Amino acid sequence: MSDEMQLVSKVLVLDNSPECFIQIKQFCDQNGLIGLKVTSTNIMAILSAYVDLGAILLSDNYCESQADTLDLAQQIHRARPELPIVLRKTSTSNFDDLPEKQRKLFCATYTIDNMSPLRKVIDEYIFSLVYPNALVRGISELTVSTLENLSTLENRFKHIKVITETPYIVRDRIIFGEVCSLIPLESSWCRGYMMLQTEEGGILDVLGYNELTMNEGPAAFRTVNNILAELTNLLWGAFKTHFIAADDPGPGFASEVPIVINHQHKYISFGSENPHLCFKYILTDENNSHFIPVYQWFAFNLYWSPEDFKEIYASVDDFVDSGELELF
Amino acid sequence: MAKILLVDDSNTVRDEVGGFLTKNGLEVITAVDGKDGLNKLKADPGIKLIVSDVNMPNMDGLTMVEKIRSELGNNAVNVIMLTTESNPSMKERGKAAGVKGWIVKPFKGESVLETFRKLSA
Repeated sequence: MSDEMQLVSKVLVLDNSPECFIQIKQFCDQNGLIGLKVTSTNIMAILSAYVDLGAILLSDNYCESQADTLDLAQQIHRARPELPIVLRKTSTSNFDDLPEKQRKLFCATYTIDNMSPLRKVIDEYIFSLVYPNALVRGISELTVSTLENLSTLENRFKHIKVITETPYIVRDRIIFGEVCSLIPLESSWCRGYMMLQTEEGGILDVLGYNELTMNEGPAAFRTVNNILAELTNLLWGAFKTHFIAADDPGPGFASEVPIVINHQHKYISFGSENPHLCFKYILTDENNSHFIPVYQWFAFNLYWSPEDFKEIYASVDDFVDSGELELF
Repeated sequence: MAKILLVDDSNTVRDEVGGFLTKNGLEVITAVDGKDGLNKLKADPGIKLIVSDVNMPNMDGLTMVEKIRSELGNNAVNVIMLTTESNPSMKERGKAAGVKGWIVKPFKGESVLETFRKLSA
Protein backbone atom coordinates (compact mmCIF):
# COMPACT_ATOMS: atom_id res chain seq x y z
CA MET A 1 0.00 0.00 0.00
CA SER A 2 1.35 3.43 -0.89
CA ASP A 3 2.26 5.94 1.80
CA GLU A 4 -0.19 8.49 0.48
CA MET A 5 -3.86 7.69 0.83
CA GLN A 6 -6.00 10.32 -0.82
CA LEU A 7 -9.37 10.71 0.85
CA VAL A 8 -12.35 11.08 -1.43
CA SER A 9 -16.02 11.93 -1.05
CA LYS A 10 -19.00 11.06 -3.22
CA VAL A 11 -21.15 13.92 -4.51
CA LEU A 12 -24.39 13.59 -6.44
CA VAL A 13 -24.32 15.77 -9.55
CA LEU A 14 -27.76 16.93 -10.69
CA ASP A 15 -26.84 18.81 -13.84
CA ASN A 16 -28.21 18.37 -17.35
CA SER A 17 -25.54 20.27 -19.23
CA PRO A 18 -23.03 17.85 -20.84
CA GLU A 19 -20.48 20.67 -21.31
CA CYS A 20 -20.73 21.77 -17.71
CA PHE A 21 -20.60 18.19 -16.46
CA ILE A 22 -17.19 17.75 -18.13
CA GLN A 23 -15.89 20.76 -16.20
CA ILE A 24 -17.56 19.63 -12.98
CA LYS A 25 -16.04 16.17 -13.38
CA GLN A 26 -12.63 17.73 -13.94
CA PHE A 27 -13.12 19.79 -10.79
CA CYS A 28 -14.14 16.66 -8.88
CA ASP A 29 -11.09 14.75 -10.09
CA GLN A 30 -8.82 17.56 -8.94
CA ASN A 31 -10.46 17.96 -5.56
CA GLY A 32 -10.93 14.45 -4.22
CA LEU A 33 -14.58 14.16 -5.20
CA ILE A 34 -16.32 11.31 -6.96
CA GLY A 35 -19.03 12.92 -9.05
CA LEU A 36 -22.04 10.63 -9.49
CA LYS A 37 -24.07 11.83 -12.46
CA VAL A 38 -27.78 11.24 -12.18
CA THR A 39 -29.82 10.67 -15.30
CA SER A 40 -32.94 9.20 -13.77
CA THR A 41 -36.00 11.32 -13.30
CA ASN A 42 -36.72 9.81 -9.90
CA ILE A 43 -34.10 11.70 -7.93
CA MET A 44 -35.41 10.73 -4.51
CA ALA A 45 -35.12 7.02 -5.40
CA ILE A 46 -31.57 7.61 -6.60
CA LEU A 47 -30.80 9.55 -3.44
CA SER A 48 -31.96 6.68 -1.29
CA ALA A 49 -29.59 4.36 -3.15
CA TYR A 50 -26.59 6.54 -2.21
CA VAL A 51 -26.46 6.84 1.53
CA ASP A 52 -22.80 7.73 1.95
CA LEU A 53 -22.60 11.09 0.24
CA GLY A 54 -20.65 14.26 0.94
CA ALA A 55 -22.77 16.82 -0.91
CA ILE A 56 -25.25 17.52 -3.72
CA LEU A 57 -24.34 19.66 -6.72
CA LEU A 58 -27.52 20.99 -8.32
CA SER A 59 -27.89 23.29 -11.30
CA ASP A 60 -30.59 25.92 -11.28
CA ASN A 61 -32.03 24.69 -14.59
CA TYR A 62 -32.03 21.02 -13.65
CA CYS A 63 -35.83 20.88 -13.62
CA GLU A 64 -38.13 22.46 -16.17
CA SER A 65 -38.81 25.51 -14.08
CA GLN A 66 -37.08 27.37 -11.27
CA ALA A 67 -40.02 26.48 -9.04
CA ASP A 68 -39.52 22.77 -9.76
CA THR A 69 -35.80 23.01 -9.04
CA LEU A 70 -36.56 24.71 -5.75
CA ASP A 71 -39.10 22.05 -4.96
CA LEU A 72 -36.51 19.34 -5.62
CA ALA A 73 -33.98 21.13 -3.40
CA GLN A 74 -36.58 21.26 -0.66
CA GLN A 75 -37.32 17.54 -0.98
CA ILE A 76 -33.62 16.71 -0.81
CA HIS A 77 -33.11 18.98 2.17
CA ARG A 78 -36.07 17.44 3.98
CA ALA A 79 -34.79 13.90 3.34
CA ARG A 80 -31.12 14.57 4.05
CA PRO A 81 -30.63 17.86 5.91
CA GLU A 82 -27.01 17.01 6.68
CA LEU A 83 -26.04 17.12 2.99
CA PRO A 84 -24.94 20.55 1.74
CA ILE A 85 -26.62 21.49 -1.55
CA VAL A 86 -24.47 23.67 -3.80
CA LEU A 87 -26.31 25.47 -6.54
CA ARG A 88 -24.80 26.12 -9.97
CA LYS A 89 -26.27 29.27 -11.36
CA THR A 90 -26.64 29.56 -15.12
CA SER A 91 -27.00 33.30 -14.75
CA THR A 92 -25.59 35.39 -11.96
CA SER A 93 -28.98 37.00 -11.38
CA ASN A 94 -30.91 33.75 -10.94
CA PHE A 95 -32.21 32.99 -7.46
CA ASP A 96 -31.13 36.39 -6.16
CA ASP A 97 -34.66 37.34 -5.35
CA LEU A 98 -35.43 34.19 -3.38
CA PRO A 99 -36.93 34.55 0.04
CA GLU A 100 -34.47 33.91 2.89
CA LYS A 101 -36.01 30.53 3.77
CA GLN A 102 -35.46 29.15 0.26
CA ARG A 103 -32.03 30.70 -0.10
CA LYS A 104 -31.00 28.80 3.03
CA LEU A 105 -31.55 25.53 1.18
CA PHE A 106 -28.22 26.15 -0.54
CA CYS A 107 -24.98 26.44 1.35
CA ALA A 108 -23.40 28.29 -1.59
CA THR A 109 -23.79 29.08 -5.25
CA TYR A 110 -21.27 28.97 -8.05
CA THR A 111 -21.06 29.42 -11.80
CA ILE A 112 -19.19 27.24 -14.22
CA ASP A 113 -16.83 30.16 -14.90
CA ASN A 114 -16.08 30.63 -11.24
CA MET A 115 -15.93 27.42 -9.25
CA SER A 116 -13.99 28.86 -6.31
CA PRO A 117 -17.12 29.00 -4.07
CA LEU A 118 -17.45 25.25 -4.61
CA ARG A 119 -13.89 24.74 -3.43
CA LYS A 120 -14.71 26.65 -0.24
CA VAL A 121 -17.77 24.46 0.38
CA ILE A 122 -15.70 21.32 0.02
CA ASP A 123 -13.14 22.60 2.51
CA GLU A 124 -15.79 23.73 4.95
CA TYR A 125 -18.30 20.89 4.76
CA ILE A 126 -16.45 17.79 3.55
CA PHE A 127 -12.71 17.96 4.16
CA SER A 128 -13.05 20.10 7.28
CA LEU A 129 -11.14 17.75 9.58
CA VAL A 130 -7.52 16.92 8.94
CA TYR A 131 -6.83 13.19 9.09
CA PRO A 132 -3.10 12.40 9.27
CA ASN A 133 -2.06 10.15 6.42
CA ALA A 134 -0.38 7.74 8.85
CA LEU A 135 -3.70 7.35 10.67
CA VAL A 136 -5.73 6.68 7.52
CA ARG A 137 -3.15 4.27 6.11
CA GLY A 138 -2.68 2.59 9.50
CA ILE A 139 -6.41 2.05 10.08
CA SER A 140 -6.74 0.47 6.66
CA GLU A 141 -3.72 -1.79 7.18
CA LEU A 142 -4.61 -2.97 10.66
CA THR A 143 -8.22 -3.62 9.65
CA VAL A 144 -7.21 -5.65 6.60
CA SER A 145 -4.77 -7.61 8.76
CA THR A 146 -7.49 -8.31 11.34
CA LEU A 147 -10.05 -9.29 8.71
CA GLU A 148 -7.55 -11.59 7.01
CA ASN A 149 -7.09 -13.37 10.34
CA LEU A 150 -10.78 -13.83 11.07
CA SER A 151 -10.29 -17.57 10.83
CA THR A 152 -8.86 -17.39 14.38
CA LEU A 153 -12.40 -16.47 15.45
CA GLU A 154 -14.27 -18.78 13.16
CA ASN A 155 -12.64 -21.48 11.12
CA ARG A 156 -15.01 -21.04 8.18
CA PHE A 157 -13.50 -17.62 7.48
CA LYS A 158 -10.20 -19.17 6.44
CA HIS A 159 -10.66 -18.66 2.69
CA ILE A 160 -11.53 -14.99 2.98
CA LYS A 161 -9.91 -12.47 0.66
CA VAL A 162 -10.16 -8.79 1.63
CA ILE A 163 -10.59 -5.97 -0.88
CA THR A 164 -10.28 -2.38 0.37
CA GLU A 165 -11.86 0.64 -1.26
CA THR A 166 -10.40 4.14 -1.14
CA PRO A 167 -11.15 5.73 2.25
CA TYR A 168 -13.82 8.40 2.01
CA ILE A 169 -15.58 11.17 3.87
CA VAL A 170 -19.33 11.24 4.35
CA ARG A 171 -21.73 13.77 5.76
CA ASP A 172 -24.65 11.38 5.52
CA ARG A 173 -25.98 10.02 8.78
CA ILE A 174 -27.74 6.97 7.37
CA ILE A 175 -27.05 3.55 8.85
CA PHE A 176 -27.00 1.28 5.85
CA GLY A 177 -25.81 -1.99 7.25
CA GLU A 178 -28.29 -4.40 8.77
CA VAL A 179 -26.26 -4.73 11.93
CA CYS A 180 -23.82 -2.30 13.49
CA SER A 181 -21.55 -1.99 16.50
CA LEU A 182 -20.14 1.05 18.29
CA ILE A 183 -17.10 1.33 20.52
CA PRO A 184 -15.56 4.48 22.03
CA LEU A 185 -12.04 5.59 21.14
CA GLU A 186 -10.41 7.77 23.77
CA SER A 187 -6.98 9.35 24.05
CA SER A 188 -5.33 12.71 24.58
CA TRP A 189 -5.70 13.46 20.85
CA CYS A 190 -9.06 11.96 19.95
CA ARG A 191 -12.44 11.13 21.43
CA GLY A 192 -15.20 9.55 19.46
CA TYR A 193 -16.47 6.25 18.19
CA MET A 194 -15.69 3.53 15.73
CA MET A 195 -18.80 2.07 14.13
CA LEU A 196 -18.83 -1.14 12.11
CA GLN A 197 -21.73 -1.97 9.83
CA THR A 198 -22.29 -5.17 7.94
CA GLU A 199 -24.97 -7.43 6.53
CA GLU A 200 -26.32 -10.46 8.28
CA GLY A 201 -26.95 -12.48 5.11
CA GLY A 202 -23.33 -12.28 3.91
CA ILE A 203 -21.92 -13.55 7.20
CA LEU A 204 -24.45 -16.37 7.40
CA ASP A 205 -23.71 -17.35 3.79
CA VAL A 206 -19.98 -17.56 4.49
CA LEU A 207 -20.65 -19.53 7.65
CA GLY A 208 -22.80 -21.89 5.59
CA TYR A 209 -25.56 -21.31 8.09
CA ASN A 210 -28.25 -22.73 5.85
CA GLU A 211 -26.58 -26.11 6.10
CA LEU A 212 -26.77 -26.05 9.89
CA THR A 213 -29.64 -27.25 11.96
CA MET A 214 -31.02 -24.13 13.58
CA ASN A 215 -31.97 -26.03 16.75
CA GLU A 216 -28.38 -26.96 17.48
CA GLY A 217 -27.07 -23.48 18.15
CA PRO A 218 -28.14 -19.97 19.00
CA ALA A 219 -30.41 -18.07 16.61
CA ALA A 220 -28.56 -17.03 13.47
CA PHE A 221 -28.64 -13.32 14.21
CA ARG A 222 -26.98 -13.86 17.58
CA THR A 223 -24.09 -15.60 15.85
CA VAL A 224 -23.71 -12.56 13.59
CA ASN A 225 -23.87 -10.23 16.61
CA ASN A 226 -21.20 -12.23 18.42
CA ILE A 227 -18.83 -12.24 15.47
CA LEU A 228 -19.29 -8.52 14.88
CA ALA A 229 -18.76 -7.80 18.58
CA GLU A 230 -15.49 -9.71 18.68
CA LEU A 231 -14.29 -8.16 15.41
CA THR A 232 -15.02 -4.73 16.91
CA ASN A 233 -13.10 -5.70 20.01
CA LEU A 234 -10.09 -6.87 17.98
CA LEU A 235 -10.04 -3.67 15.90
CA TRP A 236 -10.42 -1.53 19.02
CA GLY A 237 -7.41 -3.25 20.58
CA ALA A 238 -5.37 -2.91 17.39
CA PHE A 239 -6.28 0.80 17.13
CA LYS A 240 -5.11 1.42 20.70
CA THR A 241 -1.90 -0.55 20.19
CA HIS A 242 -1.14 1.22 16.94
CA PHE A 243 -2.13 4.80 17.71
CA ILE A 244 -2.42 5.42 21.44
CA ALA A 245 0.86 5.55 23.33
CA ALA A 246 1.21 3.48 26.49
CA ASP A 247 1.83 6.65 28.49
CA ASP A 248 -1.00 8.60 26.87
CA PRO A 249 -2.58 10.62 29.68
CA GLY A 250 -6.07 10.02 28.30
CA PRO A 251 -8.77 12.52 27.57
CA GLY A 252 -8.79 14.37 30.92
CA PHE A 253 -12.17 16.02 31.40
CA ALA A 254 -14.55 13.85 29.43
CA SER A 255 -17.63 15.61 28.15
CA GLU A 256 -20.38 13.46 26.69
CA VAL A 257 -23.17 14.01 24.20
CA PRO A 258 -26.08 11.65 23.51
CA ILE A 259 -25.95 9.46 20.43
CA VAL A 260 -29.34 9.31 18.73
CA ILE A 261 -30.34 6.35 16.59
CA ASN A 262 -33.60 6.61 14.71
CA HIS A 263 -34.48 3.12 13.52
CA GLN A 264 -37.47 4.32 11.54
CA HIS A 265 -35.22 6.41 9.32
CA LYS A 266 -32.03 4.33 9.70
CA TYR A 267 -30.36 7.46 11.00
CA ILE A 268 -27.58 8.03 13.50
CA SER A 269 -26.39 11.28 15.02
CA PHE A 270 -23.23 11.58 17.06
CA GLY A 271 -24.30 15.06 18.09
CA SER A 272 -21.80 16.92 15.93
CA GLU A 273 -21.89 18.30 12.42
CA ASN A 274 -18.49 16.82 11.61
CA PRO A 275 -18.21 14.56 8.58
CA HIS A 276 -17.10 10.98 9.22
CA LEU A 277 -14.01 9.14 8.06
CA CYS A 278 -15.12 5.91 6.37
CA PHE A 279 -13.60 2.73 5.03
CA LYS A 280 -15.23 -0.04 3.10
CA TYR A 281 -13.93 -3.59 2.89
CA ILE A 282 -15.33 -6.45 0.87
CA LEU A 283 -14.64 -9.91 2.27
CA THR A 284 -14.93 -12.54 -0.44
CA ASP A 285 -15.04 -16.25 0.20
CA GLU A 286 -12.62 -17.69 -2.35
CA ASN A 287 -14.47 -21.02 -2.30
CA ASN A 288 -17.71 -19.58 -3.64
CA SER A 289 -19.29 -16.28 -4.58
CA HIS A 290 -20.31 -15.27 -1.05
CA PHE A 291 -19.17 -11.88 0.13
CA ILE A 292 -19.50 -9.69 3.21
CA PRO A 293 -19.34 -5.88 3.02
CA VAL A 294 -17.88 -4.22 6.12
CA TYR A 295 -18.26 -0.46 6.57
CA GLN A 296 -16.05 1.15 9.18
CA TRP A 297 -16.88 4.68 10.32
CA PHE A 298 -14.86 6.93 12.60
CA ALA A 299 -16.73 9.79 14.24
CA PHE A 300 -14.36 11.90 16.32
CA ASN A 301 -17.26 13.93 17.65
CA LEU A 302 -16.03 14.78 21.13
CA TYR A 303 -12.42 15.83 20.57
CA TRP A 304 -10.07 15.94 17.63
CA SER A 305 -6.49 17.21 17.76
CA PRO A 306 -4.61 15.65 14.84
CA GLU A 307 -1.48 17.71 15.57
CA ASP A 308 -1.03 15.63 18.75
CA PHE A 309 -1.44 12.34 16.88
CA LYS A 310 1.59 10.06 16.95
CA GLU A 311 1.94 6.75 15.19
CA ILE A 312 3.36 4.17 17.58
CA TYR A 313 4.28 1.63 14.93
CA ALA A 314 5.26 2.52 11.37
CA SER A 315 3.88 -0.73 10.03
CA VAL A 316 1.33 -3.28 11.10
CA ASP A 317 4.05 -5.91 10.78
CA ASP A 318 5.97 -4.21 13.60
CA PHE A 319 3.35 -4.89 16.21
CA VAL A 320 1.69 -8.05 15.06
CA ASP A 321 2.92 -10.40 17.75
CA SER A 322 -0.66 -11.26 18.56
CA GLY A 323 -1.42 -14.79 19.59
CA GLU A 324 2.02 -15.20 21.19
CA LEU A 325 2.17 -15.96 24.88
CA GLU A 326 4.33 -13.54 26.87
CA LEU A 327 5.25 -15.28 30.09
CA PHE A 328 5.98 -13.12 33.15
CA MET B 1 -8.09 -34.28 33.51
CA ALA B 2 -6.60 -30.78 33.53
CA LYS B 3 -9.30 -28.20 34.19
CA ILE B 4 -9.29 -24.70 32.71
CA LEU B 5 -11.63 -21.81 33.48
CA LEU B 6 -12.14 -19.67 30.38
CA VAL B 7 -13.52 -16.23 31.20
CA ASP B 8 -14.68 -14.08 28.28
CA ASP B 9 -17.81 -12.06 27.57
CA SER B 10 -17.57 -12.98 23.89
CA ASN B 11 -19.60 -16.01 22.98
CA THR B 12 -17.47 -16.39 19.84
CA VAL B 13 -14.24 -16.55 21.87
CA ARG B 14 -15.73 -18.97 24.39
CA ASP B 15 -16.85 -21.23 21.55
CA GLU B 16 -13.65 -21.07 19.52
CA VAL B 17 -11.03 -21.10 22.29
CA GLY B 18 -13.08 -23.46 24.47
CA GLY B 19 -13.71 -25.74 21.51
CA PHE B 20 -10.03 -25.84 20.61
CA LEU B 21 -8.94 -26.68 24.17
CA THR B 22 -11.62 -29.33 24.59
CA LYS B 23 -10.66 -30.90 21.27
CA ASN B 24 -7.12 -31.13 22.60
CA GLY B 25 -8.06 -33.04 25.72
CA LEU B 26 -8.47 -30.24 28.24
CA GLU B 27 -11.58 -29.84 30.36
CA VAL B 28 -12.99 -26.35 29.99
CA ILE B 29 -15.43 -24.49 32.19
CA THR B 30 -16.62 -21.12 30.90
CA ALA B 31 -17.63 -17.89 32.59
CA VAL B 32 -19.10 -14.77 30.99
CA ASP B 33 -17.39 -12.09 33.10
CA GLY B 34 -15.12 -11.58 36.11
CA LYS B 35 -17.93 -11.94 38.62
CA ASP B 36 -19.06 -15.20 37.07
CA GLY B 37 -15.43 -16.36 36.91
CA LEU B 38 -14.96 -15.70 40.62
CA ASN B 39 -18.08 -17.73 41.44
CA LYS B 40 -17.08 -20.62 39.18
CA LEU B 41 -13.62 -20.75 40.76
CA LYS B 42 -15.11 -20.75 44.27
CA ALA B 43 -17.39 -23.63 43.30
CA ASP B 44 -14.69 -25.76 41.69
CA PRO B 45 -11.37 -26.15 43.49
CA GLY B 46 -10.16 -28.44 40.69
CA ILE B 47 -9.50 -25.47 38.38
CA LYS B 48 -5.76 -25.11 37.89
CA LEU B 49 -5.59 -22.50 35.11
CA ILE B 50 -7.71 -19.45 34.31
CA VAL B 51 -7.58 -17.92 30.83
CA SER B 52 -9.31 -14.56 31.02
CA ASP B 53 -10.18 -11.52 28.96
CA VAL B 54 -9.54 -8.07 30.47
CA ASN B 55 -12.41 -5.90 29.26
CA MET B 56 -15.68 -7.44 30.38
CA PRO B 57 -18.96 -6.16 31.83
CA ASN B 58 -19.75 -6.37 35.58
CA MET B 59 -16.17 -7.15 36.58
CA ASP B 60 -13.04 -6.85 34.43
CA GLY B 61 -10.43 -9.59 34.28
CA LEU B 62 -7.72 -7.82 36.25
CA THR B 63 -10.07 -6.99 39.12
CA MET B 64 -11.13 -10.64 39.11
CA VAL B 65 -7.49 -11.76 39.48
CA GLU B 66 -6.90 -9.28 42.30
CA LYS B 67 -9.98 -10.59 44.10
CA ILE B 68 -8.89 -14.21 43.58
CA ARG B 69 -5.64 -13.41 45.39
CA SER B 70 -7.01 -11.07 48.08
CA GLU B 71 -10.59 -12.18 48.80
CA LEU B 72 -10.35 -15.90 48.01
CA GLY B 73 -6.76 -16.08 49.21
CA ASN B 74 -6.04 -18.36 46.25
CA ASN B 75 -2.44 -17.88 45.15
CA ALA B 76 -2.16 -21.28 43.55
CA VAL B 77 -4.33 -20.95 40.48
CA ASN B 78 -2.41 -19.90 37.36
CA VAL B 79 -3.83 -17.03 35.32
CA ILE B 80 -3.18 -16.05 31.72
CA MET B 81 -4.82 -12.99 30.22
CA LEU B 82 -6.18 -13.29 26.66
CA THR B 83 -7.06 -9.80 25.53
CA THR B 84 -6.83 -7.11 22.85
CA GLU B 85 -5.07 -4.91 25.42
CA SER B 86 -1.32 -4.57 25.07
CA ASN B 87 -0.72 -1.54 27.26
CA PRO B 88 2.39 -2.09 29.45
CA SER B 89 0.75 -0.51 32.49
CA MET B 90 -2.05 -3.09 32.30
CA LYS B 91 0.50 -5.87 32.02
CA GLU B 92 2.27 -4.44 35.08
CA ARG B 93 -1.00 -4.48 37.00
CA GLY B 94 -1.55 -8.07 35.94
CA LYS B 95 1.99 -9.05 36.92
CA ALA B 96 1.52 -7.43 40.34
CA ALA B 97 -1.63 -9.50 40.82
CA GLY B 98 0.25 -12.68 39.99
CA VAL B 99 -0.78 -13.15 36.37
CA LYS B 100 1.53 -15.72 34.74
CA GLY B 101 1.28 -14.63 31.11
CA TRP B 102 -0.33 -12.36 28.56
CA ILE B 103 -1.68 -13.13 25.09
CA VAL B 104 -2.80 -10.40 22.72
CA LYS B 105 -5.82 -11.60 20.70
CA PRO B 106 -6.42 -13.21 18.30
CA PHE B 107 -5.81 -16.58 19.90
CA LYS B 108 -3.49 -18.96 18.07
CA GLY B 109 -4.04 -22.22 19.86
CA GLU B 110 -1.22 -24.45 18.62
CA SER B 111 1.51 -22.10 19.85
CA VAL B 112 0.27 -22.05 23.45
CA LEU B 113 -1.26 -25.49 23.91
CA GLU B 114 1.76 -27.06 25.57
CA THR B 115 2.08 -24.21 28.08
CA PHE B 116 -1.62 -24.44 28.88
CA ARG B 117 -1.21 -28.17 29.50
CA LYS B 118 1.69 -27.57 31.90
CA LEU B 119 -0.04 -24.75 33.77
CA SER B 120 -3.26 -26.69 34.17
CA ALA B 121 -1.65 -29.95 35.27
